[in-house]
Amino acid sequence: MEKKYKVPIGPVHVGLKEPITAWLDLEGEKIVGATVRPGAIHRGIEFMARDRNPIQVIYLSERICGICSFAHVVSFLRAVEDAASIPVPPRAQYIRALVLELERLHSHMLWAGVACYTIGFDSAFHLGMVLRERVMDVLEVLSGNRVNYGVATVGGVRWDVTAELAKTVKDMVKYYKREFAPFYDVVTSDPIAKARLRDVGVLTYEEAIAYSAVGPTVRASGVRADLRESSPYEAYVDFGVKAVVPQDYYGKAYGDVFDRFLVRVHEVYQSLDIIEKVMEGLPQGDIMWEKNLNKVLAYLKKAEGTGMSSIEAPRGDDTHVVHLDGGDENVTWWKVRAPTYANAVSWPLMFRNNELADAPLIINSIDPCISCMERMLVTDASSGDQKVVTRTELLEKCREKTRRLMQNDRN
Amino acid sequence: MSFPKKPVDNVRSAKTPEEVLSRIREVFGDAVSAELRERKGGKENRTGFYDAWLSVPKKEFLNLVDTLAEFDFPQFHVISGNDDGDVVTLYYHFTLFQVAGRGKRMGVNVSVPVDKKDLVMPSLFSRIPGVEYSERETREMFGVDFDGLPNKALVFLPENWNESIKPWRRDEAGPSAGDVRELS
Repeated sequence: MEKKYKVPIGPVHVGLKEPITAWLDLEGEKIVGATVRPGAIHRGIEFMARDRNPIQVIYLSERICGICSFAHVVSFLRAVEDAASIPVPPRAQYIRALVLELERLHSHMLWAGVACYTIGFDSAFHLGMVLRERVMDVLEVLSGNRVNYGVATVGGVRWDVTAELAKTVKDMVKYYKREFAPFYDVVTSDPIAKARLRDVGVLTYEEAIAYSAVGPTVRASGVRADLRESSPYEAYVDFGVKAVVPQDYYGKAYGDVFDRFLVRVHEVYQSLDIIEKVMEGLPQGDIMWEKNLNKVLAYLKKAEGTGMSSIEAPRGDDTHVVHLDGGDENVTWWKVRAPTYANAVSWPLMFRNNELADAPLIINSIDPCISCMERMLVTDASSGDQKVVTRTELLEKCREKTRRLMQNDRN
Repeated sequence: MSFPKKPVDNVRSAKTPEEVLSRIREVFGDAVSAELRERKGGKENRTGFYDAWLSVPKKEFLNLVDTLAEFDFPQFHVISGNDDGDVVTLYYHFTLFQVAGRGKRMGVNVSVPVDKKDLVMPSLFSRIPGVEYSERETREMFGVDFDGLPNKALVFLPENWNESIKPWRRDEAGPSAGDVRELS
């Protein structure tokens, strides 16, 4: 009989934004059960917001996540604008859409690169990182920053699209249309990469709906759900975005890691198309509802209401709910539901019947704000022996499987 | 159509927000109040989609969710809420018609006042398993228990947390001034 183990993966590593623990029940190498325990870095951001006014909370919401910081800002602002009935000028809506799509580009490229790194396909990882630099440059030209752009504000945006930026964006789109295809081809046509990603971490169509999965995770399971299509907000009313699902490309959705890869790479092309439409159709006019910040704050102090916003962030539906009380200058209460919060509920299902070596890949496949695991403790239940497996050893185990497959492939 | 629907699926063609609301009025009459918000955007300020805001008493909550399920499997976003004095008001955020085509999605936000004398809500876990984290979070942050939720372990608070402190409560159950460390 196979030995049974209970293995915790996580929770902390110095480089993590969002540590998490996954307790895996193993029979030999096979994962038969999993329990996920977040909570190692709950920062109480919603609690902190009670002492801050909406303008101050913009900077708090921007720091929820280092990758999709702009998505959180836009979702928070839309909730505030909903609660206080503040309109956003069309030009500002277009600039928000531009930055949201630029953010999606760099987020998806980072994920695709890291997925390759996890299976030991380092050349593809480096190729992905090189590609990602171009969009980071564009964000730097726009805002002066590579992360936390400080672009959006209540009722609009703070930075306009200049002629210089327009040219940089145009060059970037041309560059990606030329250079992204080799990366895509190199990974999808590689038999080893396909063997490592196909049928791993499966989430079925029915499960994806029942567990309310979001973003590329739900789409990879074949569910045609994309908020930019189903509930077009702001400038997306003008763009005909269609949800990217694997069955449109491969005839069938497997709901595995390979499909999550496929959805994200095709969304890179989709984002490039949206960016072109934004730049072509960019309307003239104001970029802010009100330039005087004191007037904005005075108006928000009087505003009363509950507002809600769901937008399609790179990892999926990002929901913010805000309540403003008349006479209170601070945000009365605020709730953030990041996409990982929704997708992490499905992790235990994805782990079922996979190998321990695939655990890092499965955790990464929903693109959580967690990129690595510091260490794990393997406990032999029969003898009580404990052994710490480091992140390096776990990564080596994952890569060893790739080499084993390559060996089989040659034979 | 009612829970649990097997196999779980989303409908391909949507009903209009008015049709959904008129069904809700038909079932609940004055017990449920409803507001429809139109979401506009783009150059010509065209309608993108609609969000409904409903208020329901606790005893009708499960019926309301089952009524929503007559239209589509409700996709669950999150539970938000606030300590409003004698009650903890919970807001459940759902989506109907998420795959029914362009602009067809309807957001449904349901507020339920939960009396502090009886801080128990029926769990939605058997209907929508995706509610697990939100119900566990609401339990640890507001002290609202969920009847029928199988796993009631802490989800975001640390293992050594004093569970008598409910971080989002504003009364004596919430953190006292001494529990809060100012960072700046």
